[in-house]
Amino acid sequence: MMESGRSNLETVASATLRRREFLYGLGASVGALAFQAMLQADEAESSSTKRPPLSGKSGHFPAKAKNCIFLMMEGGPSHIDTFDPKPKLKQLHLQEFVRNGEMKSAMESGKRYFVESPFHFQKAGQSGADISKNFEQLAECVDDICFYRGCQVDSVNHPTAMYQMNTGNRFGGDPAIGSWTTYGLGSANQNLPGFVVLPEVSYPQGGASNWSNGFLPAHYQGTPLRSRGAPILDLSPMKGVGRKHQRANLNLLEFLNTEHNDRHPQHVELSARMEAYELAFRMQMEVPGLLDLDNEGAVTLESYGIGREPTNAFGRKCLLARRLVEQGVRFVQLYAGTWDSHDYIERAHGNLIRQVDRPIAALLKDLKQRDLLESTLVVCCGEFGRSPDNGVRGGTAYGRDHNPHAMTIWLAGGGVKAGHTIGATDETGAEAVECVHHVRDLHVTILRLLGLDDNKLTYFHGGRYKQLSQFGGQAIEELLA
Amino acid sequence: MCGTGFASVSYRIAEKMSRDYARRLSLSPSSSRRDKFCSTDPHFNLLKTSTMERYPGKNSNHLSILEFEPLSVPIRMKKTKYGSLFAILITSLFLPLSDGSAVEETTSAEEVFVHRVLPLFKEKCFSCHGEDRDDVRGQFNMLTRVGILRGGESEDPSVVPGKPEESSLYLAVLWDELEMPPKENDRLSTEQIEYVKRWIAGGAPWPSAQQMKEIRRKTSNKWKVDDGVSVRTSGGLSAEWTNRLYDPKNLWAYQPLWRDEGKVLRSVDENPIDTLIEQRLDELRLVGAPRADRRLLIRRATFDLTGLPPSPTEVEAFVSDADSDQRSFETVLERLLASPHYGEQWGRHWLDVVRYADSSGFANDYERGNAWRYRDYVVRAFNSDKPYDQFVREQIAGDELAAADPEMLIAVGFLRMGPWELTGMEVAKIARQRFLDDVTDAVGQVFLGHMLQCARCHDHKFDPIPTRDYYSMQAVFATTQLTERAAPFLDVENTAGFDEKKYLQQRNQFYNRALQEVNSKRTVEAARKWYADNDKDATSFEEVVAELKTKRPNAKVNVSNVRNIMAKRKVDPALIPPRHVGFEPVDFGMERVARKGVERLKWRLDRYEPIACSVYSGLTPMINSVKAPQRLPANPLKNGELEKTAILGGGDPFSPKEPVPPAILSVVESALEATQSAVELTSEIVGRRKGLADWIASEDNPLTARVMANRIWQWHFGQALAGNPNNFGTTGEKPTHPELLDFLAGRLIASGWSVKALHRLIMTSDAYTRSSEYSEPNLLAERDPLGISYAQFLPRRLEAEEIRDAMLAVSGELIATLGGIPIRPEMNLEAALQPRMVMGTFAEAWQPSPLPEQRHRRSLYALRIRGHRDPFFEVFNAPSPDLSCEARDASTVTPQVFAMFNSEITFDRALAFAHRVAGQVPGEGLSEAAIDQVFRLAFGRVPEDHEMRVCLQHWKTMTARHEKLNFDPPNYPKEVLRNAVEENTGEKFSFVEPLEVYADFVPDLKPSNASPELRGLAEVCLVLLNSNEFIYVY
Repeated sequence: MMESGRSNLETVASATLRRREFLYGLGASVGALAFQAMLQADEAESSSTKRPPLSGKSGHFPAKAKNCIFLMMEGGPSHIDTFDPKPKLKQLHLQEFVRNGEMKSAMESGKRYFVESPFHFQKAGQSGADISKNFEQLAECVDDICFYRGCQVDSVNHPTAMYQMNTGNRFGGDPAIGSWTTYGLGSANQNLPGFVVLPEVSYPQGGASNWSNGFLPAHYQGTPLRSRGAPILDLSPMKGVGRKHQRANLNLLEFLNTEHNDRHPQHVELSARMEAYELAFRMQMEVPGLLDLDNEGAVTLESYGIGREPTNAFGRKCLLARRLVEQGVRFVQLYAGTWDSHDYIERAHGNLIRQVDRPIAALLKDLKQRDLLESTLVVCCGEFGRSPDNGVRGGTAYGRDHNPHAMTIWLAGGGVKAGHTIGATDETGAEAVECVHHVRDLHVTILRLLGLDDNKLTYFHGGRYKQLSQFGGQAIEELLA
Repeated sequence: MCGTGFASVSYRIAEKMSRDYARRLSLSPSSSRRDKFCSTDPHFNLLKTSTMERYPGKNSNHLSILEFEPLSVPIRMKKTKYGSLFAILITSLFLPLSDGSAVEETTSAEEVFVHRVLPLFKEKCFSCHGEDRDDVRGQFNMLTRVGILRGGESEDPSVVPGKPEESSLYLAVLWDELEMPPKENDRLSTEQIEYVKRWIAGGAPWPSAQQMKEIRRKTSNKWKVDDGVSVRTSGGLSAEWTNRLYDPKNLWAYQPLWRDEGKVLRSVDENPIDTLIEQRLDELRLVGAPRADRRLLIRRATFDLTGLPPSPTEVEAFVSDADSDQRSFETVLERLLASPHYGEQWGRHWLDVVRYADSSGFANDYERGNAWRYRDYVVRAFNSDKPYDQFVREQIAGDELAAADPEMLIAVGFLRMGPWELTGMEVAKIARQRFLDDVTDAVGQVFLGHMLQCARCHDHKFDPIPTRDYYSMQAVFATTQLTERAAPFLDVENTAGFDEKKYLQQRNQFYNRALQEVNSKRTVEAARKWYADNDKDATSFEEVVAELKTKRPNAKVNVSNVRNIMAKRKVDPALIPPRHVGFEPVDFGMERVARKGVERLKWRLDRYEPIACSVYSGLTPMINSVKAPQRLPANPLKNGELEKTAILGGGDPFSPKEPVPPAILSVVESALEATQSAVELTSEIVGRRKGLADWIASEDNPLTARVMANRIWQWHFGQALAGNPNNFGTTGEKPTHPELLDFLAGRLIASGWSVKALHRLIMTSDAYTRSSEYSEPNLLAERDPLGISYAQFLPRRLEAEEIRDAMLAVSGELIATLGGIPIRPEMNLEAALQPRMVMGTFAEAWQPSPLPEQRHRRSLYALRIRGHRDPFFEVFNAPSPDLSCEARDASTVTPQVFAMFNSEITFDRALAFAHRVAGQVPGEGLSEAAIDQVFRLAFGRVPEDHEMRVCLQHWKTMTARHEKLNFDPPNYPKEVLRNAVEENTGEKFSFVEPLEVYADFVPDLKPSNASPELRGLAEVCLVLLNSNEFIYVY
């Protein structure tokens, strides 16, 4: 029902647009007054079809994926130790690695050595995808996944790289990809934010700017549902204040506002603000219910690893992501980290993999079983990959440094070329060499999978139409089914 | 006059429609650029004036209604390449020069092709469709007529000669089904589409190269007039760019200021602003709304000038003032302009533009301990009505003007306002370049209204700003170095409250103890255990240990020493124990927390020292990483590198091309050649910024005064005359009232750059004092659909800081002290304790200032940490300090409701408000006098009878409810448990962060200390604080 209602609206709107373009484009020679009359008729029509900023909209392309779950592995997971095995490093282990030039940062100072991966790999699924044996559960899902090894970013430091992965712009201030998506597609549930973020207890480097609406209207801001305390700040009134209590206050507010409205009938924002109070009142009801996982069956909880360590925290986020998508939330971003394993990578990455392996696999299986995987795009990445070498830091407690030139990103769900590994890095994993694309192209691809055209999904700001890819890019066709 | 007026009406309806559509479809941008009235310069042929000689808007006086009959004219809508629409009204007899129709009769399709279509294809199409032979998109090669006729992969011809409607190329540029060029930014204008159509209709001819040359030679004069004007600049990277032509309407900002040569402003009685506003109202056949009533007017003016509500006494004094409306209002204005709160409010506007914050952002988000001194400098500048030209000079070059004057060292804090830092993780040169780019663009946006960053990688796409100019201006800053340098406190500075330093010292001790504790685990025994556990050969280790013991038998052997010696002896690194041998995961975590914490405190402790967040001119020092505030070097001219600024290929600091000396924007210089001698900037290390500042602050610079006058107007009216105050270039909105803008700019200069003089002029105008209600709203909507006529005063929502300040003002809690170190208001406790990562560790929690009199100061003084913004300010659209904010949003979103209606902090204000009123009115119990006073304080009026009844009833109901409610006394945390995944090991670890301030914390009046009756009244107060009447100003 909703779907057809929506598309009808779009048809009406685009038909009128055509008429207008006709008028403007062809310089029709009608009298000015007649023209104005036509415009006024359209004005009237536009006010009757006025819709809230978050209401559902159709995209630029037909697309299978309608929602996106974005798994952000903050800190820079090592592709070499997860999805991109480098046997060559066994030979090179502890041989000196030399990097020169002005591009050197203080992080890379001192003697450096190649480091082999302490992880063992397997060929999983029918597709024979490379995956570290530590991913016991995710290995069962690889045929639904497209691994991509060709992405490169610009920044070697966390916050700037995080900003670039999330917003396209290294220096912050731009809208996050979830904001762009909700700006383009709206959201199906008007009682919930269209873009929800499930951060770690501690916010990542760069903070809330990672899910900022930037210069887009505030409606498209990512709303963090906090994993501890109030899910949204001040969602509930003070202790002791019940719904009746609040309703009484709301009634007085409505009375005063109505009086005020009568004195300022021309001020249209007044009613919008009154509506916001009512919506907030409804949200107070809806959100806690959504977060309450008790009505999920024991089998489901168990499959996500909820209720036990080390999977409980991320398991809850993954299950919540599925519930949010089911409720019509357009874009959900989950954070897990930090993968910044400069030392002791075996232990550090090993622990993190244990925390996310089961929850992510459960999410993919659960989505699939509910026929939601086709309509959901799942993306998993960090802000950059890691280097095949390590400084003397930590001595023999091997780890890896940041590497913007190579990483593994994987996608699953609607429209993705599942069961394939695309692109490749060189023999040490230092640099992508096949199907190499800048992160801007990944952004264009993600938008494309969601039915959005990066070149059309623009917003005029600072003197030009801005877009997620910054200056345009091209979809990575190899990743598309 | 009526003619152009009519044109603008149609245009604006069209424009509004386009925005409505954008909004409805929401796929095209919802803030379509608004080319406003003057950009519609219709270039009537009958004026016999060349379009190039005129400056937009000037023609509005030249047409009379007799010359123009609206009903008989055909209409032509024009779509610019930015997607916005504007109408050009033309008569059936007189065709506009601007779209080339005047030459239509005699031009052939060949000419159209040579002068218009081919250049268009070159600019927009060839790069994808032919130039790159290996990648011809859609297999559609447009380089030849053959290719175009053959078409692309669809195998249909893209052009059917003579039949544009059947040509897919034509339909594609219309964005009908196929949409080409694909990017919004590249979309063809209606004018360009029209040429394509004419070319196809004329048979799509494609003359030979020889023929084209001939056509060009013979006909270029005929087309030139339509091409626009050339602009002389220092030159672009290509001759094509250098010689390109500009539509004169996009060059408005470089023209000399409009002078009243036609003696329009002849009446001495009328405010010149009104003369110019009325002119437009006449054209729109509108009259201005009557004067607002005094109650609304004083509220409007008080919030405007001070950001605070008027007190009931002030309201009553003004309402009952027997003097004339005009004179009594002038009395109010003089009082407000003399108030020190004026500088706080207008300084705050300025801080939006310069992106003020107390921290550096990015990875470490180090605090800028002394940034507050710049904030107070700005407030002082507004309060003392510092001439704006001087204000400009000081902020750009204060240290070069008078290095001995602390005020000048503080003023250049402006150059430090962007987010910037250099961490060890970064390539130093890239970080340095980021500063240079940031400061160049900031100066461009803030003072010159130009988005210079567009010219970082290439010559500016739209404006006459070659990339050479960008780097020439950047060269000015190539010797500018960042420093926290000594600058003794001035008498005017507020240096109270420095004893809060003790909390930071306590934290320092905490970190140092923690460091000692974990480092004591790095023992020889721990190393031995490591050898044993890992089954490694400890021989060389034990050798070194034994040697050290022999040397100093009584000293404890330090493992770090052992490691160093082993490394020197080239022992296999695999056999050297790790640096942190003996550490458990938690120790790694704690060591990092403490070490980074100590580092961060160095910046925070600077706050109480006579240090300025400043700059100096000198050589660029070799620094790879910044871990402590950088002091002024002993000899700034001796050590380091003299940066040689060059044009950077693609903006990449590793691709320097041609070197450039410091210089100004050449377009401005050439536009003013007649009146100004050439500006030469020094290439010496010192004095570059002074030269630039003098040029910017010059009376002859056409941008500076216009930019500031425009900002001032915007902060009074909520909308600017030129709609993008940071962008006066091609893509910025054009002024709605260009003469008015120029008049104000001229007046600013003539008054000795007095900002207060401009306030007086503006605020005493009819335009400012009009009612916000219009008697015939439909008529107004019809004739002024964009709301730019100033026929009524537009209401506005209070800004984030004003909301908090107004609550404190009515609750009686506001402490009016000026300036000083930042305060820390209570933040939502969960947000305050929200853990956040900085450089692999935790940033410290937000702890509120301990005493109410410290906390309840104006929001301007609240500490602004880039990575930890107060959610209350954030939800009410306080701008992110990363980008210069030219105009704030005022969106309505639900989290605002949670912050205002549910939060404990707002209820505390309501309770204090109730307490204040209860203490002021005589008698006990539910009294009308209390409600009366609540209304007076919150709204500046008394309640109507029925409002009184309803509020009293609510008070009663809520009191009854509160009698059943018990509130626990507040329980503040003394510490907070931090859980994290340790980054080195991936193990979970936790530590306890002490919250030192809470030991001395004095809470506000809390529900637990208030009677049910007082709490009941607080509920009434809470509702009033949430009401639209409180939040909006009319």
